Amino acid sequence: MRGFIILVVWLAVAVLPVPALAQVQDTEALRRELEQLRRQQEQYQKTIEALSERLKRLELQTRPATSQPPATGVPPAAGAPPAAGALTPPAPVVQAPGSLPTSPSSPSALDLLSPRQPFSLYQQRGAGQLLFDVGISGDFIGNITQRNVQKAQDGTFSGQENRFFPREIELSLFGQIDPYARADVRIEAGQESAGEESGVNLAEATITLLALPWGTQAKIGQMRNRYGWSNVIHEHDLPWVDRPDVYRIFFGDEGLVESGGEATWVPDFLPFYLEVLGGVFDGDNETAFGFGRLTAPLATGRVRAFFELTDTMGLQIGTSVASGETPDRLRSTLVGYDVKYKLRPENWLHPLLTLSSEGIYSIREVENGVGDKRTRDRFGAYGWAEVQPWRRWAMGTRYDWTQYPTNPGHQWAVEPYLTFMPSEFLRFRAAYKHTERSNREGFDLNGGSGRIMDEWIFQATFILGAHPAHPF
Amino acid sequence: MRTRTLARLGVVIAILLAAGAPFAPGAQAARKLRVVATIPDLKSLTEAVGGDLVEVESLTRGTQNFHEAEVRPSMMLKLRRADAVVENGLDLDAWADVAIEGANNPEIIRGGRGRIEISKGIEVLEVPSARVDRSMGDVHPRGNPHFSLDPGLAPAITQNIVDGLARVAPESRAVFEQNRTAFLAQLAQRMAEWTKTMEPVRGSKVVVFHPDFIYLLTRFGLVQAGTVEDRPGIPPSPQHLVNLIRQMKEEKIKVILVEPWNDIKLANRVAEEAGAKALVMATAVGAVKGADNYITAIDYNITALAKALR
Repeated sequence: MRGFIILVVWLAVAVLPVPALAQVQDTEALRRELEQLRRQQEQYQKTIEALSERLKRLELQTRPATSQPPATGVPPAAGAPPAAGALTPPAPVVQAPGSLPTSPSSPSALDLLSPRQPFSLYQQRGAGQLLFDVGISGDFIGNITQRNVQKAQDGTFSGQENRFFPREIELSLFGQIDPYARADVRIEAGQESAGEESGVNLAEATITLLALPWGTQAKIGQMRNRYGWSNVIHEHDLPWVDRPDVYRIFFGDEGLVESGGEATWVPDFLPFYLEVLGGVFDGDNETAFGFGRLTAPLATGRVRAFFELTDTMGLQIGTSVASGETPDRLRSTLVGYDVKYKLRPENWLHPLLTLSSEGIYSIREVENGVGDKRTRDRFGAYGWAEVQPWRRWAMGTRYDWTQYPTNPGHQWAVEPYLTFMPSEFLRFRAAYKHTERSNREGFDLNGGSGRIMDEWIFQATFILGAHPAHPF
Repeated sequence: MRTRTLARLGVVIAILLAAGAPFAPGAQAARKLRVVATIPDLKSLTEAVGGDLVEVESLTRGTQNFHEAEVRPSMMLKLRRADAVVENGLDLDAWADVAIEGANNPEIIRGGRGRIEISKGIEVLEVPSARVDRSMGDVHPRGNPHFSLDPGLAPAITQNIVDGLARVAPESRAVFEQNRTAFLAQLAQRMAEWTKTMEPVRGSKVVVFHPDFIYLLTRFGLVQAGTVEDRPGIPPSPQHLVNLIRQMKEEKIKVILVEPWNDIKLANRVAEEAGAKALVMATAVGAVKGADNYITAIDYNITALAKALR
C-alpha cells in the first residue's frame, strides 16, 4: 500500500512541471490557435505537394519514351536530382524555423489538462497512410518426447507433447497517440492444449508517457514486466524455443505479465547508462503472487547498467525485485540478477558471440499444517552462450538449474539449438532439450513420469509488417 | 528483515546518484549545444553548420550498415543528454525511435523541438510507384534513403539542420546560416572539380552490391546497370550471379561498388569472373580510411570511381 501511495505522489509531482504554473491562460489560448493554423497550413502544403507529384507523374506517362532503355535501378526522371554539377538551391526546403506543430518538450500543466484534438492528426495523414504501425508475428512449435512425459503432461509445452501447434499469433498495433504519449497494443491467439480451439487474449496494452520531465517516463496498462532482460521479450522473439526454466517455474509458463504502472528514470550525469525502474501492479500472477488487489500490491523494481567496453563489445548488468502477496496474504519476494555480454566484430551485421545468465532468488512465506509461517528460500538460474558465425545461422546452448519455489527438489536441463534465418523476417529453429528432475513426485500424472525428459523441438516464426527493433 | 535491507540499499543508491547531480555535464552554466546524429554523415554536416556552438556525436560508425544498427543503451545515454537529434529519415535509421524512447528525453521525441529530420524537402529517388511487399526484399516504401552523400543535396540537408538547430537555439540562427553559407561555398568549389573529374566517364555503367549509391551515380551521370544482391538485403542466388556476370561481360561493365560492411569476398569473386574490379566505397563518413568528413568522403568516392572507370 505504501508503495502505491509513493508512486501516486511521484506521478503527480512528475506530471506537474513547476514552470508551467506561471503561464497565463490567454497566452495559451493564442498559442493553441496559432498552432492550429500552422497545422492547417501544413496540411494544405502536403496536399499541394501530393497533387503536384501526381501531376508530374501523369505528365511523364504522356511523354514519349526516350531512346535509352532504363537500366535497373535508374530512377524515374520525375524523382531525379538536378543535373550533374549543380548544387540544388535550398529553396525546396519548406520547413520554416519554429514551424513544428507543437513543442512537447516542456508541456505545461495547462497543456496537459486542456482538451486536445487528436483527430486533427488523422486529417493530416497522407493518402493510404495509417497513423500507427501494424505488425503480425506467428510462432509455431512442434515437439516430440517420450510417451511417459506425454502421459504426465510435464513436457516443456505442457498438454501439447508430441504435437505441432500455433503457440502465439500476435497482432501488434503501436504508435504515437499525440506528441506526449504512445500506445502499444498486442493481441495474441494460440492453442494452449491439445484439441482446444485457439483462444484470443490481450497480451499487452499500454500507454507510455514520453514527455515527463527530469529524465523520467511512465508506462500504464497491462504489460510484460521489465524483470531481468528476457521477461519483457515475447515468445516469438526469444533467442530460444522456450522461456528459461527459472522464469517458467517461478512465474509460470508466460513469465511475469501484470496490470498496473511503472516509471523509469535515466540519470544524465553518470559516465555509463543507468536505468532505475519502480512499479506497482495488481499482483495477479498465480504462480508467484496471486492476491490481485492494490490493497496489497505487487511492487517491482529494477536497476540496469550498460557498459560499452569497446566499439564491438557491450556488457549489461541488472538487478530486479518483485514483492507481493499470495491469496493467503503470505509475502513472496523474488530478487533477480541478469548479465548479458555481446561481441559484434567491426563491420559485422550480427553478433558473433552472446553470453548471458539470469537468476532468481525466491523468498516465500508458507504456512505449515498448524498455521505457523515459515520462509522458503529457493534459487534458480540459467547460463546461455550463442555463436553466430554467419548471418543466416546461429547456434547455442542454454543450461538451466532451478529449485521449486515451495516444493522440495530441483531440476536441471541442457538445450542445444540451431537457428536458420532466411531473412530478417523468417526464422526456423531446431532444439534438443534434456531435463532431469530430482524427484518423481508432482510429475507423475496419469501414471506417467516427467522425471527424465528428452524433447526434440522445432520452431518456425514469421514477422509480417512493422516490428520495432530490439535493444541490446 | 530482508525486505527492509533491500529498501535501505535502494535509498542508499538513490542518494549516491542524486549526489552526483551537481557534477553532471548538464550543470555547467554556459555550454555548447549537444547534438546527436544517427549517422556520421549527419554528424559531419551538423559540425559544419553548428561550428563552435555545437558538440556532435554519432550513434553509429561509418563502417556499419545503418539499416541494422544495434540499439545499445549507450546510445540512449547520448540521447538522454542531447539538446537535439539529427536523423536521416525514410526508414534508414528507424531504430533511432527505440533508442530515443529509452532515453527519457522529451526534447527529442517525435514532434519534439530538438528532433531534426533531414529528408524534408529532398527529392527522393526510387519511390515505388506500384504496390510493394517484402517478396521484393528490404524495399523502402518511401524511397531510397541513401541520399546523404550526394553533394547536390547538401544545401537542402544543411537547411534542415539550420532550421532544426535554430528551433533549439534561436539566438544562434545567424551564426548557423553564416556557417552554412561558408560550407556550401567550399562544397560548390569542390563540386566543380568533381564534375570535371567525372566528365570523361559520364554515362558509364556500374554494378552495385546494394542500392546505396543511386543518388551519387545519378548526380554524376553514371548508370546503375545491376545489383549483386538478388533483391535489396537478400543474398544472391547462384543463377542471379551467373546472369549478372554474363551481363557485365556483355556490357563491358568494369566496376562493382561495394560497401565496407558487405560481402567483399563475393564482390571480388563476381568481379574477377566478369573481368571487372570491386571497389570498396565510402558509404558514409568514416567508412574507409581518408573519408574523415563529408567533403573528403565524397572526394574519396569520386577519385576512386573516376580512376576505376577510366
